[in-house]
Amino acid sequence: MKLIFEKSVKGRDGYSLPVDSFDEVDIKDCIPDYATIATRKALSEVSEVDVVRHFTKLSKFNHGVDDGLYPLGSCTMKYNPKVNEKVAALNNFVYAHPLAPEETVQGCLEIMHDLNNLFCEITGVDQYALAPAAGAHGELVGNLIMRKYFVDHDEKRHKMLVPDSAHGTNPASAAMAGFKIVEVKSNEKGTVDVEQLHELMDENTAGLMLTNPNTVGLYDEGIKDIERIVHGKGGLLYYDGANLNASFGIMRPGDVGFDIVHLNLHKTFSTPHGGGGPGGGAIGVKNALTPYLPTPIVTFDGAKYHLVDAGDKSIGRIRAFWANFSVLVKTYAWILSMGADGLHNASEVSIINANYVLAKLKKYYRPAYDRYCEHECVLTGRDYKKYGIKTLDIAKRLMDYGFHPPTIYFPHFAPYAEETMMIEPPESESKEEIDEFIDAMVRISNEAKTNPGLLKDAPHNTPIRRTDDVLAARRPILNYDDELKLRDELKYRNEDINF
Amino acid sequence: MRYIPTTEEQKKGMLGEIGVSSFRDLIEAIPTDVRFKGKLNVPEAISESELEEKIYRLSKRNADFFPMKPLIGAGAYRHYVPEAEKSLLQREEFWTSYTPYQPELSQGTLQSMFEFQTYIARLTHMDVVIPSIYDGASATAEAALMSLRLTHRNKIIVSSLLHPHYRETIKTYIAPHDTQVIEVWHKDTLLNIEKLKELISDDIACVIVQNPNFFGGIENLTQICEITHSKNALLINAIAESMSLGVLRSPGEMGVDIVAGEAQSFGIDLNYGGPYNGYLAARKQFLRQLPGRIAGETVDVDGKRVFVMTMRAREQDIRREKATSNICSNHGLNILASNIYLSLMGTDGLYEISLLNTKAAHYLEKLLLKTGKFERVFDYAFYNEFLMKSKNSIPTVNRKLLQNNFIPPLEISKFYRGEEFKDVLLFAVTEVLNKDDLNRVAEILSE
Repeated sequence: MKLIFEKSVKGRDGYSLPVDSFDEVDIKDCIPDYATIATRKALSEVSEVDVVRHFTKLSKFNHGVDDGLYPLGSCTMKYNPKVNEKVAALNNFVYAHPLAPEETVQGCLEIMHDLNNLFCEITGVDQYALAPAAGAHGELVGNLIMRKYFVDHDEKRHKMLVPDSAHGTNPASAAMAGFKIVEVKSNEKGTVDVEQLHELMDENTAGLMLTNPNTVGLYDEGIKDIERIVHGKGGLLYYDGANLNASFGIMRPGDVGFDIVHLNLHKTFSTPHGGGGPGGGAIGVKNALTPYLPTPIVTFDGAKYHLVDAGDKSIGRIRAFWANFSVLVKTYAWILSMGADGLHNASEVSIINANYVLAKLKKYYRPAYDRYCEHECVLTGRDYKKYGIKTLDIAKRLMDYGFHPPTIYFPHFAPYAEETMMIEPPESESKEEIDEFIDAMVRISNEAKTNPGLLKDAPHNTPIRRTDDVLAARRPILNYDDELKLRDELKYRNEDINF
Repeated sequence: MRYIPTTEEQKKGMLGEIGVSSFRDLIEAIPTDVRFKGKLNVPEAISESELEEKIYRLSKRNADFFPMKPLIGAGAYRHYVPEAEKSLLQREEFWTSYTPYQPELSQGTLQSMFEFQTYIARLTHMDVVIPSIYDGASATAEAALMSLRLTHRNKIIVSSLLHPHYRETIKTYIAPHDTQVIEVWHKDTLLNIEKLKELISDDIACVIVQNPNFFGGIENLTQICEITHSKNALLINAIAESMSLGVLRSPGEMGVDIVAGEAQSFGIDLNYGGPYNGYLAARKQFLRQLPGRIAGETVDVDGKRVFVMTMRAREQDIRREKATSNICSNHGLNILASNIYLSLMGTDGLYEISLLNTKAAHYLEKLLLKTGKFERVFDYAFYNEFLMKSKNSIPTVNRKLLQNNFIPPLEISKFYRGEEFKDVLLFAVTEVLNKDDLNRVAEILSE
């Protein structure tokens, strides 16, 4: 559809500002010649009504959780409660300046302090830092903590073990923290190959990053051996909390022996994804690692709450100010609304949902691993190759049935996990919604055999259809001015941009 | 539970269809002795009305912030956020959606990214824009890492007037990379140019300068750029108050290589420090070393102009440990917030608000001098933040301001040591303070 710049009309405006009554101040006296601009920067000229219509129309080109099942595996696209948005938007939070005097922000600090205690209880570790802005940010912090810990103990450990089933952020985070990545293969059951781990883990290795349940939705049943092997060689065990939704009241990473845990508040704890963020990536550790947490930490002296520097051993600061505070409020609200029983029920239902999908669909889409899963299952489109159909085609066809596709082509490791669809139906999805999804998947299976063209050309009912991603990368147009330079070459018709 | 539709009866039915007799059969992979036994010590669920009341009460333990106007900025600025923007941000299609991996269902998010990239490219006069890194500090740290990859050098120079949190964040990010961080101490309120000339050398990857700097001072980036480029180092310009782009010469026109900005001022509320939104803007030749997601234009099979995430071969889900960064989730919804904000403000609005902020700050500075209770520590060109030495004790000033519904300015000695910073305050002024408010501040502080 048209860009906001294409709706611009000279002389139009959409803002209202207080009258400039500072006649006694001359801007020329304020800004030195070396910093003065010659011409004002052109942005756009549209009215408030234009803006409201433009973005309302844009919103209709998006699909959200409120529109229906959003079964993206490892993304935990659960319902984002409305009341949480309301309480996070209370004036005394929204207008709180991060550097306002401590006595004026006691409410904020109390929530942060309380949340720390709840996180510790839920995951079985001793102290959290709430600063990380996202899961990957938490991973980076966790790796920096490991690095600092070993430097402090005069140990040279430069390697990090990462399973092949790990999210891409794991190896990327460890690399950012200066570690050399050593990949651990999955075995035929889809979990960590304990024998290989035993061979790889040595005194030069800082530890293992593990998602458990892992990205194929399977609990690593060798966890006790894994723990013994890593700790036996003096390493640390890192828990990637991307899949924590399977574990409330069932398994606490701290009890299992994990030393560092990160949480994804925008997955497990119901805060919205916002089309890519913001989320939260709180990082928790066992006592031995507390001194290394990033700054700041919230403390309570019995009367008042304080933001304190994490101390000399801390890895330091990882962002400006303290945390994604409004995300923390939503998280807090969700935990209080769920209670201990609700949390447990959430995990139970999410596990039942995933196994139900697996049971119903496994005769249509061969599972990567035919065993009970946790909160997500991995099916494959391998058997449709003979009809010329790829998993991508199945995913695109699902859109025509009103569903967002699952995560596709991840994880990917031959020979089991190829042409994968990682399906996560969280606890907020009803049986009826899941049955409709299953029904659509069964129909697509049939279509793939009888009318594969329908899938190859899919989607048919979405605002736009399949995109030319190769062209996008080969001829980068990364803003409207890039487009303007190529106007003659592009030759868009009116209906190509105005739809 | 209202967020979990499945009934106990349905659970039983589903377990039956799965072919197990109890839920326990599904978690057999979890060794029994590592399972959690008992019940989490988490409070029993409370109702929605009780929840609202509880959090409302907690919010009341804060000061009543809405009517309190900040005289503090230091990297977080209270600007008015138009209701049209807030209302649009509440459309669920925006805030309940995921990262736009499936363009057919995400054109709203993708086109918004593309529009914001255009706004920032125009404001900064840079070629390519990454619309979201977590915040200004992490964006600056990512830019520093990028300079190491681009130059293969192992020292960086950081201005002491870069926001202290940004400097600390850079140090944390850079710690594993065998790189020396050299801080250039300021001279009065600007980067010490002579010192920079001394320090610049063939092993410097980048020079990082905030503009306007932490004291509000307007740096001569053209001059700094010449010195930096004389040894082929990169100039990184951190911008904590992006509203300044409305009246100040753009970084691109002054030769900057990478801009690391904080977009909080563009329609994002204070929220006690986050989430805000960092962005990066750079020259085209650096595109492949940039971290984070970017939207690009292409066509669909019908020839429609559409938007997709592009240049993906830089990202962690594809390149794993060879990616330019680990960043995945960013602060996407705030891209939209800023895009709507900039659309409402438009060409004239952004200029006018930036002008108003500058003039109002200068007005207050002169007014405070007139009270006789303040004196200038330095005479310098500033944007909307300035230093003032108080003759009264700081606790007295703070108390008076708080009593009169103003959030006090920053005590600069919290971040900068030295005799010259004793009793020195960093004031910030935005358009939420009108002339009457500023007169009132001077009146309160003249007593």
